[in-house]
Amino acid sequence: MSFIQAIIDGLLVGGVYAVISIGLTLVYGVMGIVNFAQAEFLMIGMFVSWFAWAYLGLDPVLAAPLSFAVAFAIGWVVQGQLISRVLKAPSVAQIFLTVGLLIVLENGALLTFGSQFRSVVTSYQTMSLSLGALFVSVPYLIAFAMSLACGVALWWFMRTSWFGRAMRATAQNPMAAQLMGIDTALMYKMAFALGVGLTAFGGAVILPYVAVFPGVGGQFVVLMFTVVVLGGLGSVAGAVVGGLAVGVIQALSSLVFPIQLQNLVLFIVFILVLAVRPQGLVGARR
Amino acid sequence: MKKWFALAAVIAVAAVVPLLLNPTGYWIRVLTFTLLFAAMAQAWNLIGGLANQTSLGHAAFFGIGAYTSTILLLKFGISPWLGMFAAGALGGLAALVIAIPTLRLQGHYFALATLAFGEVMRVIANVWTPLTGGPGGLSVPFTPPSFAAYSFKQLLPHAYIALAALIIVTAIFEFIRRGAMGYRLRAIRENQAAAEVIGIDTTKVKLQTAVISGALMAMLGTLYAQVAVFFDPDTVFSAAAISIRVALIAILGGVGTAAGPILGALFIIPVEELMNDLFSAGAAGLSQLIFGAILIAVILWRPRGFITLWDSLRARFARGEARR
Repeated sequence: MSFIQAIIDGLLVGGVYAVISIGLTLVYGVMGIVNFAQAEFLMIGMFVSWFAWAYLGLDPVLAAPLSFAVAFAIGWVVQGQLISRVLKAPSVAQIFLTVGLLIVLENGALLTFGSQFRSVVTSYQTMSLSLGALFVSVPYLIAFAMSLACGVALWWFMRTSWFGRAMRATAQNPMAAQLMGIDTALMYKMAFALGVGLTAFGGAVILPYVAVFPGVGGQFVVLMFTVVVLGGLGSVAGAVVGGLAVGVIQALSSLVFPIQLQNLVLFIVFILVLAVRPQGLVGARR
Repeated sequence: MKKWFALAAVIAVAAVVPLLLNPTGYWIRVLTFTLLFAAMAQAWNLIGGLANQTSLGHAAFFGIGAYTSTILLLKFGISPWLGMFAAGALGGLAALVIAIPTLRLQGHYFALATLAFGEVMRVIANVWTPLTGGPGGLSVPFTPPSFAAYSFKQLLPHAYIALAALIIVTAIFEFIRRGAMGYRLRAIRENQAAAEVIGIDTTKVKLQTAVISGALMAMLGTLYAQVAVFFDPDTVFSAAAISIRVALIAILGGVGTAAGPILGALFIIPVEELMNDLFSAGAAGLSQLIFGAILIAVILWRPRGFITLWDSLRARFARGEARR
């Protein structure tokens, strides 16, 4: 029974991982840049949501669109001012620019907000629905539902809107897209802002069960990379499968191993996937 | 010839500087760590600069080195001088183990894989308490001061050992860069497919570089353990404080050049110390924030490091001479 319980928990948590990681994979898919600072936008999203809860009395989950908007704005500026300058630079410059951004964002938050943990109090925080002998945690369920809604909205946007199609065209062939009259620099800004916005959205919805502090991104960074590498860097569908898989792997490994080793299992999955199938488990090489 | 004189002069100056500092003071410590980090960045420079494989996991080898010699000393009373070679062997082995599956990967993927490897080692060191002491860390046991026991009353000998280490690692770097292996690595860096076509076993060459780099890094881990006297898994296996920092030092100075890591360390370590001194009491995170901002500025402004400042200065000077 605890096995099925772990799978349920894993899938619910994994749905959020998927949304958080879609942002990372989107940025890579469109620009070919791995944003090492991506998890810091999760932290930003959590802080925005926490302040909205503490000062505006907003439910943290309902503040998720606000988190999205703030991160979107920051991402727009970061892409326009910083990332755009290294798009053609060697990968070492790209890696260290985003690493520098990570350090700045994390320590900027530390300087501004201090190192204490902040959590929210909600009415549904400790509730769970019982299905016979199984339990479904309400905050997990809400976070999953919000993530699902967000994912569907993104899918719809990428499929049907002009912007979405232009962005996909830019990802496939920037030169051809430009010749078709698409402003690729604008598409890059859009993709980066959207990517970090999604991650921030994911940060807001997990706030009812994860406390926020400036270093919280560090707890998610390898997890996010495992998700996107499992699904294949650049593949949005892959990130969904990868997110659910990582959630389940994490939940199942916690049945067998002590809590300190939970991340170790992920790391090893991550290295194995990179070594054996770097193009990801689903989808072909881009 | 002129070059050798210049080199001898630089080494002579470097050898005198430690004598000028207060032997029990603060700056001798800063100098020791500057030299040590320069040597570490130089070891990283082999794989990161010559082979162009950005490793974000060199803390793995560094930590292995610190733990190997200290555990050998604690459990068997083996001198850290010998422990250092055991550390080098284990570090090289670890580099081989991680490099075999990941060296086919390029750019971002390799960076990701090595980052994860460093974290794996950190988690293992935290959990394997009977061997490593777990999160509580290890203290290097006190032994009566003597050179053979690698134990000194003052920091001065440590500063000279770090200087010697830097010279040795830099000499290895230059030897490889100028030798046949350096040419092969350069060919791979310019165009891997073309290098393979002309008969270079690209995987083998990169593997050799990775093993040498990992082994040197581990040996430097031993030196660190002897200077620091106490360390824990989160310090020596730190992604931020070791892996990213050594790469940053090399990049700041000029990646792929022998002088780069030295310039980078001479800048970064004292500046960090200064900032920690100035701000740590007032505002946590400020010095790291500035550190990150410097990193971003250098990447945008001088993506190939400070060394290019020198090149452009020299070019300007040469132009001026030609005109005359």
